[in-house]
Amino acid sequence: MAKSKFRRIAALALASLLGCAASMGAAAQSVKIGLIGSLTGPHSGWDLPASEGVHMAFSEINAAGGVTVGGKKYSFSLVEEDAQSKPDVAAAGAQKLLSDDDIHTVFGILTSTPGMAAAVPIGKAKVLYIGGFTSMDSLLGKPGGELMLRALGSDPVTAIPFVQEVTKQLGVKKIGILLPNEDVAKGIVAAYKPLFEKAGVQVPMVEFFQPGTTDFAPVLRKFQRQGLDSMFIGYSDPDAEAIVRQSLEVGDIPLRFIYRGGSGAPAVKYASKIQSFAWQILTRDLSSPTDPKVKAWIERYKAYTKKDVTANTYWALTFYDSAFMLARAMEAAGSVTDSKAIAAKLKGMRYDGVRQMRYDTDGRAFTDIDIGMIKDGKTFSVAAKIQ
Amino acid sequence: MLLDIVQTAFDGLMVGGLYASVALGITLVFGLMGILNFAHGQMVMLGAYIAFYAVASGLGFWVGTALAMLAMGLFGALLERAIFRRTLVDPMAGLTVSLGLIMIIENLAAAWFTPDPRFMEPPLSGDFRLGPLALSSQRLLVLLLAAALITAFYLFLKRTRLGKAIRAMAQSRQGASLVGVKVTRVSAAIFMIGSALAGAAGALYASLFAISPFMGNTPLMKGFILAAFGGLGSVPGAIVAGALLGLAESFGSRYLSAAFRDGYGFMLLILTLLLMPNGLFGARKGRI
Repeated sequence: MAKSKFRRIAALALASLLGCAASMGAAAQSVKIGLIGSLTGPHSGWDLPASEGVHMAFSEINAAGGVTVGGKKYSFSLVEEDAQSKPDVAAAGAQKLLSDDDIHTVFGILTSTPGMAAAVPIGKAKVLYIGGFTSMDSLLGKPGGELMLRALGSDPVTAIPFVQEVTKQLGVKKIGILLPNEDVAKGIVAAYKPLFEKAGVQVPMVEFFQPGTTDFAPVLRKFQRQGLDSMFIGYSDPDAEAIVRQSLEVGDIPLRFIYRGGSGAPAVKYASKIQSFAWQILTRDLSSPTDPKVKAWIERYKAYTKKDVTANTYWALTFYDSAFMLARAMEAAGSVTDSKAIAAKLKGMRYDGVRQMRYDTDGRAFTDIDIGMIKDGKTFSVAAKIQ
Repeated sequence: MLLDIVQTAFDGLMVGGLYASVALGITLVFGLMGILNFAHGQMVMLGAYIAFYAVASGLGFWVGTALAMLAMGLFGALLERAIFRRTLVDPMAGLTVSLGLIMIIENLAAAWFTPDPRFMEPPLSGDFRLGPLALSSQRLLVLLLAAALITAFYLFLKRTRLGKAIRAMAQSRQGASLVGVKVTRVSAAIFMIGSALAGAAGALYASLFAISPFMGNTPLMKGFILAAFGGLGSVPGAIVAGALLGLAESFGSRYLSAAFRDGYGFMLLILTLLLMPNGLFGARKGRI
């Protein structure tokens, strides 16, 4: 009797153990993804929405059952570090993520100063890094940057459809370029000037102003009476608004502006006084969308974050699509940990999400973008397709 | 070419008038009281925000400018009474305190107003033609207001009793005290007037340029250049130096490189101090 009772208990225990093991096998395993961004400080306007985009994407993927890689189901979990908009804190955050052996992919920072501090050690550690800051272009495809991808189109890439569209839409023939005296501005001139000239637009004047300038009147006078029909300006909203406003004050300046910046805000107040203002919406037009995919995404974003769409929400969309693309690349690579294989798949695929995107062999993103326009007092956007 | 030179000169004088209105406050407080108040630029910033919010709430530019002057005058009196009066005997302590004030005021302003730059609606907009000249209406208004402010201040110093007391103190603090000038009260008045001038400069600045919590450093730097350039404590010196600095920056940016804008002022300052070590009008202390 005692023996048979013992057998029954042992059988039950064995069945329970097997049941547990079976259920564990069926449950999705978790893939740890690192995320470092300036969630506080002056750069949080960029990185906070970007972080929301990653969270939102993985939340949707997990809710749909995760990804199937090598026949196994995986869900995503995020390990987040706040760079606080400071390079030293960004470097420390990167080291903390690198100390976790389970993290093989990191979503990174959108601004250059803290971005560099985080990206360089992560790149050297051969961990896949998906970032967005401008200076990343100098790292891509070079030793230490083989596993880096920049999710935003770089100037040479974005400039092609932008120049084509604004030249066509605004009928530009002769422009003057006015930018701050910084390295980024020199790169912008190198990217845009030949494209304008190729499109048949004369570029007789390129001027650089001292960063931090508030009084633009003297330098704007250089552009007076030069037969120009447009001004190409950049790339911060306060500079752009000051230039637009002071162009109206000093007179005889072309009132057609092409802005290498991501917002129409600098011209909104002056819409009725200027001829036109064109700017780059580096993803899709979220303020007055016409594409059903974009409209649906906005509704999901609002429901997920409990926030309204703002000018900076397009950073969320940038990283949202990038996170989905990562999941597809893991499925294609058959691994969630082999950073090299996943990076190779990312560089070889074309993803059709809320926006279309692909990476070149160095890791530079090519995406379709929308171009914002204020023309004759009306605001609208036009789509520029992926190259 | 001549047209271009006249327009550039006009731009330079306008911005020079703004610089001079900041420099007057600095030269008063530093030149006469020996207080190196680095927070003067932050008073310009606060004055700009007061004018901005006054205009945004519908009170208008003129009320906004008056409020900026009044509020900064009171703020200056408060700072003098609570802090700088106690540091008069130790200039290093005063300097350190004013550096601390920069941090406190800037960060409080960033928390309160947000760091985003703002543009105030000016009372005048666009340009107007004077023969072949295209001149900015608001810039001309700012130039006239700065000139009126400087003239009024100059007349105040020359014609009023308090002005005479300030001039007496400038020559000799001890001597003025001996002939019955209440130096403590006059010192407070100097600080109050200097701060009110900063408030007025802030309002004028806001009518042309973007304002932000961190905007105070440029006017402060220019103000100190002018105070040294014109001669410490010299009111005509600050005015002439303001005009020269504005012209140097405008002509340099227009005909040479706009990327070197601030450099022209420093070149002018170094050259002047090499030739005239006490500045343009600063032959001796207390020359106002």
